Amino acid sequence: MFGYFYHEILRKTVIGFGTLFNEINIKHKKTNGTEISTIKVPLSYGPTQKFLARLEQSPNLNQPVQMTLPRMSFELTGLTYDPARKVSTTQTFNEVDSSDNKVKKVYMPVPYNMIFELSVMTKTNDDMLQIIEQILPYFQPNYNLTIKLISNINEKRDIPIVLDNITMQDTYEGNFTTRRSLIYTLRFTAKTYLFGPLPTDSSGIIKKVTVDSRIGLDNPSRQMRYTVTPKATQDYNNDIATYITEDLSIDDNYVTVSDGSIISANTYITINDESMFVKSKSNTGNKIAVERTQPVLHSSGSAVNLVTTVDNNFIEPDDDFGFNESMSFLDDLKQYSTSLNEDIDL
Amino acid sequence: MLNPFFQQGSITEQSLVQDLINEQLRMYGVEIHYIPRRYLTEKTIIKEVIESVFDNAYPIEAYVNSYEGYGDNTSILSKFGIQSTNELSLIISRERFETYITPLISNIPNTKLSFRPKEGDLIYFPLGDRLFEVKYVEHEQPFYQLQKTYVYELKCELFRYEDEIIDTSIEQIDDNIQKEGYIQTLNLVGIGITAEASTSLVSGGVRTIKVTNGGSGYSSSPIIAISTPSPGGLVAIATAILRNDTVSEVQIIRTGYGYTTNPVVTFISGGGKGASAISSISSGGISNILIGNAGAFYTSPPTIGFTTSPGNTAIATAIVSNGSISQIRILDSGSGYVNPPTITIGNPSLTGVGTYIYNEVVVGSISSASAKVRSWDKPYRKLEIATIAGDFKVGEIVVGSQSGAMYRIGDTNNNYDITTPYTDNDNIENEADNILDFTERNPFGIV
Repeated sequence: MFGYFYHEILRKTVIGFGTLFNEINIKHKKTNGTEISTIKVPLSYGPTQKFLARLEQSPNLNQPVQMTLPRMSFELTGLTYDPARKVSTTQTFNEVDSSDNKVKKVYMPVPYNMIFELSVMTKTNDDMLQIIEQILPYFQPNYNLTIKLISNINEKRDIPIVLDNITMQDTYEGNFTTRRSLIYTLRFTAKTYLFGPLPTDSSGIIKKVTVDSRIGLDNPSRQMRYTVTPKATQDYNNDIATYITEDLSIDDNYVTVSDGSIISANTYITINDESMFVKSKSNTGNKIAVERTQPVLHSSGSAVNLVTTVDNNFIEPDDDFGFNESMSFLDDLKQYSTSLNEDIDL
Repeated sequence: MLNPFFQQGSITEQSLVQDLINEQLRMYGVEIHYIPRRYLTEKTIIKEVIESVFDNAYPIEAYVNSYEGYGDNTSILSKFGIQSTNELSLIISRERFETYITPLISNIPNTKLSFRPKEGDLIYFPLGDRLFEVKYVEHEQPFYQLQKTYVYELKCELFRYEDEIIDTSIEQIDDNIQKEGYIQTLNLVGIGITAEASTSLVSGGVRTIKVTNGGSGYSSSPIIAISTPSPGGLVAIATAILRNDTVSEVQIIRTGYGYTTNPVVTFISGGGKGASAISSISSGGISNILIGNAGAFYTSPPTIGFTTSPGNTAIATAIVSNGSISQIRILDSGSGYVNPPTITIGNPSLTGVGTYIYNEVVVGSISSASAKVRSWDKPYRKLEIATIAGDFKVGEIVVGSQSGAMYRIGDTNNNYDITTPYTDNDNIENEADNILDFTERNPFGIV
């Protein structure tokens, strides 16, 4: 029933959440304001493999000190479905999948809340207050983080990170054999979205639009038909038609070709990936006036490709292209059948 | 009824017991170091010490009361990483502390309570090479034998480090924090800065001025007078170089333009006579040379290179003043250039000076930021610093206050910060670069 897919959305949200707190500094100052030191507060995802922590943090077994402070740690502590953000399960949207450059129909994601805990441990209250005061103003009570949840379809979502509550623990009472422990815990909710698998087949792009018009509500036959099809403005099939015989500089609007007979006015040509619109031809036919699109230098001998109707079939999503329009008036008393995909008699 | 043959607390009896205890501590004890805390800055209201220095250490014998070691399960994994919860109970002689350590620390500024060992001070325990913090001082155990107490029991736990300065000049102690706390790594380069210059092309500029007769008797450089070009042109400027009392060379400062014939060169004043020179003009030669960056720490004029010309490649020489290039003078402005040539100036001395010393203070020459040295990797020129006050700037020289070492901070992109192995800030930052979209900016950091 379920095929494999993994967009790493949960992991990305964890990373996104962590990024918010990875550049917090505290400063110690003398009473006259002179700076004593600046400390970048270390941050890490709390849960880890025990043996790995031991190898990395106590490689030589003898820790000369207990630990260094301050430190911050965060972890994912829960996942809950968020019914408030539910949308229709059948709703879809189209996006281009960069892995195969096809348009994919993507189903709406499922809204889930990720519960995070950010814990801060410091040696002094002065440090703690500095850290907390740098965090709180940005959460009113949420801060929106824009995360690319699925890189293939460039799907970006604003993920609100909501600060739910803060727990303060300062165990300063008791006998002197127990150390003071100063830990604040901030609980957040990240409102993320989970996507299902992307379809493997393409929903394609619309290659033809036909609009039929009729006069009168009782009249079933169409009288006017307007049709639009995509028109390529660049060459796809590399049909080398001729070559340029002189260098073409950036500001040059005349192309000299070896054989201009097969180039027509009001068409497009492509030279080295630069598309040009042919405005007119000289009397001899080998000097062509063009309208440049993204002018670059072209050397003598570069191939000239024609943009023809054949190229229309190769237009891909995200390409730049134009349109062919046609309009016809029909008096054959027929109507278009969407099931048969043809005009039928009334 | 008490035994009448004993005085139950005479000074001689008490001294005997104290001496016996002292002797036992010397026989069965361990030589630890007592490191008093100096309280440099304290906060009022929310009472806390935020600046402490440990810069004195006194060896003293102590008996390890917790003879079974540190106890079980001394390392725990918490959400804040691994914590070592080693605890230690040490017994030191009361008399030894009062007669040996108290006099030594009583006059040290910012040291509180010199008459007894106190909570917050550090103990260096050589077995295991660790730093312990005194949590509690028990002074009534054993309880008033012969009406007096003779020892202090120091209940200690491993030190929690933040940014305290530990600089006792005893390497075994000071190196315990070499890799602890917030450490920033500066990628340093040699102190020199390579100069940069540019030029443009002219038509009809002076190409060369060759001395045909050096003359004699010159006490100062004669003024070079060059005839004017055609109307609309710009006259060239040059200067004469003397060797002894004769003119050895004429260097062009500005080639001018608009000359159609070779200009006449005349030597004026300077106290001598007889000097003469001939000039030539060029097409597609360079004009004057503009210095964009004068560089620093040049000890001799660097080589000046030009892009090769299809005609004649330009030649120039640099004038160095106070370590920087003050002027670049043209010997041959070249010819046949289509585009202005690129000027390549030789590097100054790219080595640094000296070797930084562990724990010395280093200061930024521009920012005045200061820090303490944690390590210095000379081959790779990586300087690890801690207790950083201020922001070190790229391009400034980091000067060691004791060693006098000097190196320049290189590219900031190569700098990275480390704190402890626990830290993951940089990894989180790097991973987030590909998935986050801070269209404006990340208020919490850099993306």
